[in-house]
Amino acid sequence: MTEPLITTPLRERAAQALGDRFLHEALDIATTRFIALRRDAFGDFPEGEALRDRARAIKEATLQRLDAHLETLVANIERLGGHVHFATTAEEAREIVLDIARRTGARMAVKSKSMATEEIHLNDALQAIGVTPVETDLGEYIIQLAHERPSHIIAPAIHKTKGQVAELFSRELRRPGLPADPEVLTKIAREELREKFLTADLGITGANFAVADTGTVVLVTNEGNGRMVTSLPRVHVAVMGVEKVIPSMTDLAVFLAILAKSATGQKLSVYTTLVQGPRRPGELEGPDEFHLVLLDNGRVAQLAGPLRESLYCLRCGACLNVCPVYRQIGGHAYGYTYPGPIGILLTAMLNGPASVRDLSHASSLCGACADACPVRIDIPRMLIELRREVDVRGIAPRSERIVFKALARLLRSPTLYRLAARIGRAAQRPFVSDGRIRALPSFFGEWTKTRDLPSIAARTFQERWRDLS
Amino acid sequence: MTSHKLGPDDGASSSRRAGARTTKAEFLARVRGEMAKTPGLFVAAPAERPAQPRQRLELLRRELSERWPHTLERFRAEFEHVAGVFHRVPTAADVPAALERICRERGARRVVSWPSEELGVAIAPVLGAAGIAVEPMPRAVPPDAERLRIRAAVAEADVGVTGADLAVAETGTLVLVAAAGRPRSTSLLPPCHVAVFDRTALVESLEQVGLALEAWHEGPAPAERGAVINFITGPSRTADIELTLTRGVHGPKEIHALFVDGGLGLHG
Amino acid sequence: MSVSAAAGATPRVALMITCLADMFYPEVGERIVRLLRRLGVEVTLPTGQTCCGLPLFNSGYHDEAAAVAARTVTIFRDAEAVIVPSGSCAWMVKHEYPGLLRGRAEAADAERLAARTWEFSQFLVRRLGRTTFESDVEGPLAYHDSCHLLRGLHEGATPRTLLNNLSGAAVVPLPGSDECCGFGGSFSVRLPEVSTSILERKLANLEASGARCLVACDAGCLMQIRGGLARRNSPLRALHLAEVLKS
Repeated sequence: MTEPLITTPLRERAAQALGDRFLHEALDIATTRFIALRRDAFGDFPEGEALRDRARAIKEATLQRLDAHLETLVANIERLGGHVHFATTAEEAREIVLDIARRTGARMAVKSKSMATEEIHLNDALQAIGVTPVETDLGEYIIQLAHERPSHIIAPAIHKTKGQVAELFSRELRRPGLPADPEVLTKIAREELREKFLTADLGITGANFAVADTGTVVLVTNEGNGRMVTSLPRVHVAVMGVEKVIPSMTDLAVFLAILAKSATGQKLSVYTTLVQGPRRPGELEGPDEFHLVLLDNGRVAQLAGPLRESLYCLRCGACLNVCPVYRQIGGHAYGYTYPGPIGILLTAMLNGPASVRDLSHASSLCGACADACPVRIDIPRMLIELRREVDVRGIAPRSERIVFKALARLLRSPTLYRLAARIGRAAQRPFVSDGRIRALPSFFGEWTKTRDLPSIAARTFQERWRDLS
Repeated sequence: MTSHKLGPDDGASSSRRAGARTTKAEFLARVRGEMAKTPGLFVAAPAERPAQPRQRLELLRRELSERWPHTLERFRAEFEHVAGVFHRVPTAADVPAALERICRERGARRVVSWPSEELGVAIAPVLGAAGIAVEPMPRAVPPDAERLRIRAAVAEADVGVTGADLAVAETGTLVLVAAAGRPRSTSLLPPCHVAVFDRTALVESLEQVGLALEAWHEGPAPAERGAVINFITGPSRTADIELTLTRGVHGPKEIHALFVDGGLGLHG
Repeated sequence: MSVSAAAGATPRVALMITCLADMFYPEVGERIVRLLRRLGVEVTLPTGQTCCGLPLFNSGYHDEAAAVAARTVTIFRDAEAVIVPSGSCAWMVKHEYPGLLRGRAEAADAERLAARTWEFSQFLVRRLGRTTFESDVEGPLAYHDSCHLLRGLHEGATPRTLLNNLSGAAVVPLPGSDECCGFGGSFSVRLPEVSTSILERKLANLEASGARCLVACDAGCLMQIRGGLARRNSPLRALHLAEVLKS
């Protein structure tokens, strides 16, 4: 179990998010923009569809020989003078990083954006042993100062207004009266963080890919903090889920061709950094030590599990941008580290089925996510599988199971079905006016609070059929 | 799907002694154990990689040398599309003057640069005469104190001048392989980065970059090669505040490509 | 795909009315029957229909869904072709029935049924080759892609072909036509606030389109969208495609 189970119902968290006017607008603008950017990027890219198929095939095949590829990766990283660590649990991963920090006497660590380190709650653990973690990705820096968690996989501070950021910087950085101007605020972040980059003992990153053939760890970024973090401090630690390994440099080119396009519509992100162990003897710059922490934390169990396909995820965020639910409620309402459609699957992977009792239903199963996914992960299918799991394991409330079992009985019997129509027709009478129903008691009221309901027809189609023959 | 397993396997952690770490053997054994549950369920095609990539890269270079002007035009368009500034000079001898102009336009007084052997042209004399200080990066690694001083100097510099191993037309990307005398921070810390290269760096597509990467890793790496390869596509940027695009977040605010028609005499 | 009936033979089709159309929109079923008969198609209605089982399937009750599917497959076993007025139900039959019934006695019948099932607009255009109709309503009309038809059955063309070839009504594009309406079956009452918020976006897009009437090929979408329009006392309408084509 990585994260404690959230007990407030999703519906409450969602309703709270829906009430946040700025969040609503920010989400609308951001997701609409990302959708358009992605559409344009792929519209201009006829090879795109074939590359997506190839990318998926590479992921599928790689997982099928994961042990061999991991062996190759480890051997190559060690040959380059790096170290590889194996973390079965989130706790173990944290301990490994803390050990490295302790051993190298680090007092401050600069971090490049890493959802894997969010997942294992690394920052709190570092803080607890007296190592100050400093997020350097601007969006992550903002939410770190605000003591919040990211609300989108690639745009973590999407929920904040520039006014809020200005206020935040003014207060936390003791620079009163900052204007709500992104240029000014970015410049300040650059100044504040530049000093951190140059003095940090430890650099911590995630990794987008690890190429087994050459022992290369790949970071895809836009700001330059990824390059700073992997070149300036004495020690570099990369935390990476095992599913990120790919066999060859040729494969890397396939993924690079579709990743940024899916995430932001860029042909490539500004910086793609290929790290190959610690600095060489003849190199002026670079870390003296390089560590890769391979993270299991529920992933390995899915190699043969129902969520296997979610291991293909490139963490591009495209599914978030097109999800009608995410677009309305944003990332925080999901409650766990990973939001959006893929986030529900990852939450189940990391925390077990009980954690997605509500979340597995945070979807209208519209399929936009599967459409947008660069590696064509069939998210809706797995969401339905999660719902099955929640039902089979008795995690769903008993009342719900009773209702669905009754429905099933009804739908198997034309007699009961016809009876239900007759009963419904009679029961609805007090509520019908003009053929519409505006308010219904109890469970049905969930619909009628905001929408009219049609009334059950005086004669169903099957009852009318004789007249039509 | 075969199993109804969801969530991390608590069995693994609970049977572990406190403080004991997962060994590679244990980790891989777990992986193998899971993989064994789905034999033949998924296609396990061998990884794609070209045979003899170095040879193929050579062939590709020869092919590309025949259509380099077209590739250059595409590179320029894409480079400018990501807000790069493109310059073109006839010969290597024209490079220092072009750099001087770039510096003057920015009021730049301090330049850090890859050494002339790595650039294929000497820039210090001309710039020095114009009152612009040029500090070349060392090819041999100096003691730590000097390394720190150099780092500070690079952080204070106005312009960083490097070469480029590849210029990718499809995306407007420059690829820089770190090595002795070709350190990383030159293209990262100063607010303005200028990359000087010629037609031998031009490739058309990411696919060809993949081939180059394979070729560079065929056989043992040359002794002077560094531990990082950087792909640079435009100046540093972010849109993290209200999706407003700003440049020069941590990396350079400006990136210039200085193309030398007549060649730099670097590649044999 | 083209008209494949042997020369002179009348095409026969069995109507899978779907639970929602049966209970709430029988007039849609009536119009479909009249229209098909006018086109020379014989329509039968296998008796004792209930539901395709999608609500059970989507909520994870797969054994129960399989039992309902088995029944449906048996009811339609003798049909040459099956026509369905809802994209989601057509999807269920074509995509999920074979998997649900694999290894069971009904497995072969399920495969056959999947291959012979058509969503309404697909049947008109791809099976009968009929694309031109008169409009029975005043436009402008705007088409909403239901998720299961568009992304499940990969069909965005046939409804548009029919609408664009209508005489008597203009067609305007609907911004975000491929965006979900927020119905999602039980989703609409499990997370009603989110469902409504999604619906509001759809309605805003409808208003922005300048259309007088939204057209869809799914009873679930129609229930959601009509429900929202009615609650707002909106003059705009939401109709099933069958209610637009003059029969």
